[in-house]
Amino acid sequence: MTDKNNVEKNTGESQAKPYRSKKQLIAIIVCAFVAACGIGLWMFQLAGGMVNTNMRNLDAWGLYIIMFMLFVGLSAGGLIVSSVPKLFGIKGFGGISKLAIWTSICCTILAVAFVVVDLGGPLRVWHLFAYANLTSPLMWDIIVLSLYLIISIIYLWATLRSERGQGTAVALRAISAIALIAAVAVHTVTAWIFGLQIAHEFWYTALLGPWFVSSALLSGLALVLIVAIALRKAGYIKLESANLIKMTRLLGVFCAVDLYFFACDLLTSGFPGGSGGEVVAMLTTGPLAMFFWAEIIFGICTIIVAFTPALRKPGFITCAAIFSVLAIFAKRVQILVGGFQEANISYPTVSSGPELSAAGKTLADVGGALIYTPSPLEIGLVVGVLGLGTFLLLLGLRMLPLKPVEEQ
Amino acid sequence: MSAQRLGMVVDTKRCVGCHTCAVTCKIENNIGDGVFWNRTMTVGGDSIDSASGTYPNLSKHYITLACQHCENPACTRVCPVGATYKREEDGVVLQDYDKCIGCRMCIAACPYTGVRNFNWEEPQHSIGYDVGDADAPAHQKHTVEKCMMCAHRLARGEEPACILGCLAKARYFGDFNDPQSEVSKLISSRTYKQLQVEDGTNPSVYFLV
Repeated sequence: MTDKNNVEKNTGESQAKPYRSKKQLIAIIVCAFVAACGIGLWMFQLAGGMVNTNMRNLDAWGLYIIMFMLFVGLSAGGLIVSSVPKLFGIKGFGGISKLAIWTSICCTILAVAFVVVDLGGPLRVWHLFAYANLTSPLMWDIIVLSLYLIISIIYLWATLRSERGQGTAVALRAISAIALIAAVAVHTVTAWIFGLQIAHEFWYTALLGPWFVSSALLSGLALVLIVAIALRKAGYIKLESANLIKMTRLLGVFCAVDLYFFACDLLTSGFPGGSGGEVVAMLTTGPLAMFFWAEIIFGICTIIVAFTPALRKPGFITCAAIFSVLAIFAKRVQILVGGFQEANISYPTVSSGPELSAAGKTLADVGGALIYTPSPLEIGLVVGVLGLGTFLLLLGLRMLPLKPVEEQ
Repeated sequence: MSAQRLGMVVDTKRCVGCHTCAVTCKIENNIGDGVFWNRTMTVGGDSIDSASGTYPNLSKHYITLACQHCENPACTRVCPVGATYKREEDGVVLQDYDKCIGCRMCIAACPYTGVRNFNWEEPQHSIGYDVGDADAPAHQKHTVEKCMMCAHRLARGEEPACILGCLAKARYFGDFNDPQSEVSKLISSRTYKQLQVEDGTNPSVYFLV
């Protein structure tokens, strides 16, 4: 409480100072360069054509949409970690609230960026406003994601203001509530892009909405943990181990819920046999088995670390957090590639099956069965977008007063 | 219900799998290299024109697959900009290349594998010049296109090109909302199947079996 009094006495003067160092500046410049290279690759993709990606008519989406799903999810953690304690008046997780919101904002921007690089006609983005078709889940997602980004920015601004003793606690709590609702909405609506498509049996399930929320909580909290541990090591924040352990236990709970949903979904698909059984076979023993078992094993490792007191050390926690993000990445690959893997109508014809997917044909020639793997251009562009994200994250640390007030 | 429900009937008992409808479509609409809006599929063995079973108990027939112009299309609902839409007066599902932003949501939503094509590069024409009908809309890079039931021909009161091109006279075109039309009579007198009925799209292409 002394901190708060102190803040109030110095109204108008920011207590938290931006953090600057030479290493950080170099990192920012490197990231800006990587992002610029990414823009170059994007221009190449637009000029030379998306034929340079491995996406084709039979697997119309690829790595960009996998990353879009992943980053919408990653953006969840920050908002949840900072808004839930404020909203319900419970004790928070130490001074990482502002940092968590900034991480969340960066992830949301990246999610939007991944959709933009996936578009065939980015110069026609204004059509979304001019000709909006409100029955499209993609339109819903664009609306909710935009609102989510705006709300996150307002939320960060309100948090910074309240630290300086401006604004009321009630207002901050109200914004926390809105931010939390927006977070749940954005994950559910992202799931609906897939979950409402009756054309793909693997996608068409009511569970997908809640499941995206649980996956988002898992990967998002994991990202906050990774960032917090890294910044603690760099001396930017002081985070008590008790808070770290609290978050790790929560990570374990989220992971257990996510795997529970997975088990429910597998049983529901597989139990009647038939085409649902084929979906289960595709995941467990078929072309996507690698991603399926990766998710399961990474998930179990996370749970072991989270619920074994002796293992809750920063090193293990970092591993568990990285495993969580990898598990959700593996899940996203399953959803996307798995959705396109089994064609509804696959009779032999002039161009069908793997021939409609460049990577599928290449892989089939070497004995593989996956319909899609990303091309070098796609991987390069993803690295570029990730560069942009790290650039934004570091720039925020440098320019914004994100350092916890408690540490001053 | 739209005033008309234009669609096709394909008689799989007459179809000989000659691919002429697919090629006629390609020429009529000046479709780029490697792209087919309409494809002849072999229902039988593992490769084109092969049969299933063991001699002498073999089985093989063909279906031609293009946009099904569904009464309840999955694609029109998901397009964020309304670039693909069902024309109210005749039920034809159209695609506006000028509106399409290339998000490929419609490809993901369509239950009929491969009937929607995204132009992954600038459309190429191996013969070096444009062919087909001057009224057919020009193809655009990075937009989605598909069978539009030759809307440019319908506008002139003509049938789609694939109907005329069929050598075996296996293809019929007409209005399913008119009980006196040839197509309505065919599906009331013969056994038929529609594709992917389990998805509830009610396609306007019927296959006589």
